[in-house]
Amino acid sequence: MIQLPRSLQGRLLVMVLTVVVGVWLVTAVMTWFDVSHELDELLDGHLAQAAALLVVQQAQEIEDDDRGIDAPTLHRYAPKVAFQVFHEDRLALRSANASIAPMVGANKDFKNGFDTLQIDGATWRVFAAEGAERDVQVYVGEQMSSRDSILWAVLRSTLWPMAMALPLLAVALWWAVYRGVSPIRRLGRALAERQALALNPVRLDDAPSEMAPMVDALNGLFERIGTLLESERRFTADAAHELRTPIAAIRVQAQVALGEADDAQRQHALLSTLDGCDRATRLVEQLLTLSRLEASAVPVMAAVDLSALAQQVVADLAAKSVGKKQTLEFEATQPCLIPGNETLLTVLVRNLVDNAVRYSPPSARIKVAVERQDGQVVLSVEDSGPGLAEAERLRLGERFFRVMGSLESGSGLGWSIVRRIAAVHQLDIQVDLSAALGGLAVRVIAQAGARAA
Amino acid sequence: MRILLAEDDALLGDGLRAGLRQLGFLVDWVRDGEAAERELRAQSYEAAVLDLGLPRKDGLDVLAAIRRAGIATPVLVLTARDAVPDRIRGLDVGADDYVVKPVDLHELAARLRALVRRAHGQPQECLSAQDVVLDPAARSVRQAGEPVTLSTREFDLLQAFMLSANRVLSREQLEQQLYSWGREVESNAVEVHIHNLRRKLGTALIHTVRGVGYMLVRDAPKS
Repeated sequence: MIQLPRSLQGRLLVMVLTVVVGVWLVTAVMTWFDVSHELDELLDGHLAQAAALLVVQQAQEIEDDDRGIDAPTLHRYAPKVAFQVFHEDRLALRSANASIAPMVGANKDFKNGFDTLQIDGATWRVFAAEGAERDVQVYVGEQMSSRDSILWAVLRSTLWPMAMALPLLAVALWWAVYRGVSPIRRLGRALAERQALALNPVRLDDAPSEMAPMVDALNGLFERIGTLLESERRFTADAAHELRTPIAAIRVQAQVALGEADDAQRQHALLSTLDGCDRATRLVEQLLTLSRLEASAVPVMAAVDLSALAQQVVADLAAKSVGKKQTLEFEATQPCLIPGNETLLTVLVRNLVDNAVRYSPPSARIKVAVERQDGQVVLSVEDSGPGLAEAERLRLGERFFRVMGSLESGSGLGWSIVRRIAAVHQLDIQVDLSAALGGLAVRVIAQAGARAA
Repeated sequence: MRILLAEDDALLGDGLRAGLRQLGFLVDWVRDGEAAERELRAQSYEAAVLDLGLPRKDGLDVLAAIRRAGIATPVLVLTARDAVPDRIRGLDVGADDYVVKPVDLHELAARLRALVRRAHGQPQECLSAQDVVLDPAARSVRQAGEPVTLSTREFDLLQAFMLSANRVLSREQLEQQLYSWGREVESNAVEVHIHNLRRKLGTALIHTVRGVGYMLVRDAPKS
């Protein structure tokens, strides 16, 4: 395999020139065979004609004299043509270059027709003819080398102009290819000159149609990167906002504590400072969880018993719920194994139950259940809280989205984390109003894994 | 000085209210945009601290709405949005100052005092009338160079008078300056405080305009 040049221009040039030279060579070979065949026919015809003349002439001149007469040489090709006329096996007439012996070479019985013979080290084409009374024998021969000269001359005249044209053709092709690939060079320049963060579409005014898919794909890519960057930018701005507020609160509360003379008030301000620290800590942890989730590949999966996991989460959050005088119920009749990562699933369930406890009013009822339904495992968290309007339910999971008017502190990241973990585990999440309790109902639906033992 | 604080974050709002109270402000705290707009329309505040990311109605919308309604209360925007375009937009919509969280409490108070001073066309840091000089930052009053001890209410009342020197203030206006929400106003409280001020600073400073209210006279009457 020949190594082609790396530039498109070089490749096109090499390939086109190779094809052109190949076609020319094939043409030359075909011309060679064709011309040599035609030439043989024509010159053989001449030999036969000359032989016929000599036979007729000899038949009429029998009476003249029987001595061999040398015919004069009249043309520069004449030495290459020879003839012999025998009358009753005696040499009657011959050309100057013809030998005395009949031009029969190795073919001793040669009397009629064509043959190609080796005579005195040269190749001859000889036509032999007998007179009607078989007393006259004529040989007309021609050296094959003369035929080859003619053939070469014909080929030379055909091939020379082609060979001369080749460099011109190469230059012309180079120019044509250069012009042809110029849109690609312009695209390259346009891309090279772009700012690192410039994401406006590339425009090539006279781009050939073959390049349109490439330019379109490129612009599509720029658009996707733009969307991604925009969402990252918004995330950074939102994260800054969400982090600044608890820090501002910590600072202000600390200043209040410093300036407060009243002990009870100072105590309150100091406790608030601690609250602010807890909030900032939780926010940072959530941001870290989210960034780990978004950066990492698929986590290690194993069979996880969702029932046991949910039970543990409910037990952990029971104290908080009791503190708000809420009723937190848990219901699971059997182990429900699903494939998943235990740590991540715990984060998911904890977020959902914590949300229910946090955003439901005091004395609310919260019900967590894990059950099997048609080969699926369904975890549901329902509450008797205020629920959410349809529009708000749809926005759950947008980073930093918080329900308007909610006085409970929250980062708006919990649902982003829930959605992300669900996506990693291919879980289906449905958010609805609870038919039983009237508040929010969240259902997490998983395909059941291995059967429980 | 009575100001409105609009901040949805419980912890920060609570801290700002307590801190600004320590520094001598009367603070009304609302936690959403609609309440902020309602209060700014209904009451006369010396200034307002407005968070931008408020629930129900965005801070900038509140600001635009009250400016459209012709309410000139100085507004200090307190926000976590620090991008320059955000600041420009905030100031263009009608904010008088733009402070990015987290903020130092004392700086916030100083900025509020400056806003109020400017709104009343007072270029100096200290307010003065006749031989009385009031320092809002130090919350101190001197008469003819001698310190005068005033109660919190008396100080607030004198400051309200001095900010609106040579203008008649009704009893209702003065009451609004003196009391934040949830504090019962005794029917004759203003009269009692004015009586005390006259006792401590002399009668030439605050005049009674019968049937209308009271007025602080900035320049000493020619004798």
